[in-house]
Amino acid sequence: MASLPAAPGTPGGAPADLATVGPQAGQRRRGGNDPDRPRTPLDWVGRVVVYLLLAIGGAIILIPFFWMLSTSLKSDASLIAYPPQWIPNPVVPGNYPEAWTSLPFDRWLLNTVFTTVLAMIAEIFTAALVAYGFARFRFPGRNVLFIILLSTMMLPGILTLIPKFLIWREVGRIDTFSPLTVGAWFAWGPSYIFLLRQFFLTIPREIEEAAIIDGANVFQVFREIMLPLVKPALLAIAVLSFQGNWNNFEGALIYLSTLEKYPMVLGLQFYGATLSNTAPQWNLMMAMATVMALPILVLFFLAQRYFIEGLTVGGVKG
Amino acid sequence: MLSWYTLTLTDFVGVGVFVGVVMVATHWVLRRFGVGREAAAGYSLIVPWILGLVIWNAGPFLAALYLSFTEYNILQPPRWIGLDNYVRMFTEDRQFWTVLRFTLLYSVINVPLGLLGALLTATLLNQNVKGLGGWRTLYYLPAVLPAAATALLWRWMFTENGLINSILSPFLNLFGIARPAWFTDIDLVLPAFIIMALWGVFGANTVILLAGLKNIPRDLYDAAKVDGAGTIRRYVNVTIPMLSPTLFYVLILGIIGSLQTFAVAFFIESPRRAGTFMNVYIYQEAFDRGRMGYASALGWIMLLIILLFTLLVFRSSAAWVHYEGEKNQNG
Repeated sequence: MASLPAAPGTPGGAPADLATVGPQAGQRRRGGNDPDRPRTPLDWVGRVVVYLLLAIGGAIILIPFFWMLSTSLKSDASLIAYPPQWIPNPVVPGNYPEAWTSLPFDRWLLNTVFTTVLAMIAEIFTAALVAYGFARFRFPGRNVLFIILLSTMMLPGILTLIPKFLIWREVGRIDTFSPLTVGAWFAWGPSYIFLLRQFFLTIPREIEEAAIIDGANVFQVFREIMLPLVKPALLAIAVLSFQGNWNNFEGALIYLSTLEKYPMVLGLQFYGATLSNTAPQWNLMMAMATVMALPILVLFFLAQRYFIEGLTVGGVKG
Repeated sequence: MLSWYTLTLTDFVGVGVFVGVVMVATHWVLRRFGVGREAAAGYSLIVPWILGLVIWNAGPFLAALYLSFTEYNILQPPRWIGLDNYVRMFTEDRQFWTVLRFTLLYSVINVPLGLLGALLTATLLNQNVKGLGGWRTLYYLPAVLPAAATALLWRWMFTENGLINSILSPFLNLFGIARPAWFTDIDLVLPAFIIMALWGVFGANTVILLAGLKNIPRDLYDAAKVDGAGTIRRYVNVTIPMLSPTLFYVLILGIIGSLQTFAVAFFIESPRRAGTFMNVYIYQEAFDRGRMGYASALGWIMLLIILLFTLLVFRSSAAWVHYEGEKNQNG
């Protein structure tokens, strides 16, 4: 976090607001003579209640995670033990290779990485271009178009799904990765455009004007001046975009039919459907669910600031 | 097998170049026709989105409207049948009503409950707690778990021998109730879905609301304190109005999202009699039963329901959402 350039913009702008959301923000405000600091015994009771409630909530959040991990390391026999076994006994790490090799999981991983990377590149790049256009250039109809952009967020995806399917079928791209990636060139994420536009709006115009006087064209200004300035927002979008494409189930379900072309998420669903009803091997299932979740959880711990920025900008400044 | 990847790579590069060329061409044409420098640049920058709007939104949108008046199974060309699809939906298709009821009940219970819980948690987190960053990470964790993993995990926890029943076991024994299999029980499937959804979105909403709470200027509280307002008065008269735009945002997104629940329902099959989510039903009609026309009609009804809900919330927002004059301008 410290390695990042300071958020640009005026104090009232989005990046500055986002900074107050950061982990240290709370502490910074808590000055020496904080009026809310507990003084009376009653205040202390209040504090204890607050922490107690938070801890209960935290336990409710954490127990399922722990249960997923714990199940993934259990033997078949201890799956349904009562009382429930929190710590697996015996610990069976072999569940992971067993599940992984029972179906073409390595192929599915490759497919997921392939489609995620391509879609991310196009999605982020075009979102930035469009957001820049909306934020910085005055042209007739701009506000109407921007309202249309926002209202497309409300369109239920399922409604346009059938015609989209027919288009891809018409161009012979059913059961290929193209529908999952190529569409990203058309700035398909309105929320990303909205988020980036909010960031661009906070950058003082003088910065660009100076560059234009120096003879730079629109693309040079965009690439060399604007993009570096909104880097925190780009990273916020990158994590959201990664998450969205990594988990893209709907598209994969509709367009892909060959087992070897599945991404992880569809493979996982297939794997779940093959489980026997009489003695489902939940340990193997949970092992693969953990593998699927792992990259996103790791990314979240490394870059949680960007997850939170991407999430909060619409709600707080919208 | 390599060709699978090269094909898409070629498509990808080709379409990328195409979009770039259209952008440059747009700029050139606009300039030739005497459009100002700034406007021409603006238009050409938003070209990718305009193309997407036409090809992937407006076109399919109208096509879906047309298809909804036809009988179409992909193999034969669409056959115009007027309003038959809509008539059938409301008069003959009993499953439609079951599904609609299930989806609406789910949203109507899930969204307000989630919002209240998130508001309570955000308020607790806003009490100058120690280690705020850590708490927030903890509460946000379920929201980053892929829906597929969430669904499988809860399906497992809600089985007959699952964790939930084990925890409830003392109570179940006390009343002599057999351990239910939640997701296959016609009465429990809806509560089970709601519990799972609450766990999943709770943290994301909490983080958004917390950011909203942190944005409320401190002097407002100090002023209220000087006026003699107690903790509860301050919460009702300062916090809630100041937070209302954020609450509104979370509410709208929550409704839209929850009406469109899809992926989790694919990982957890609910009993047919209990109903399923509307989007899953539409998918099944279109791709399992090959009724593209009927599915499009269902999709249109779905759009109308979403619009109706959004409109209701927008309408009511005049009464409870408080916007500060200047805040609204750059938003």
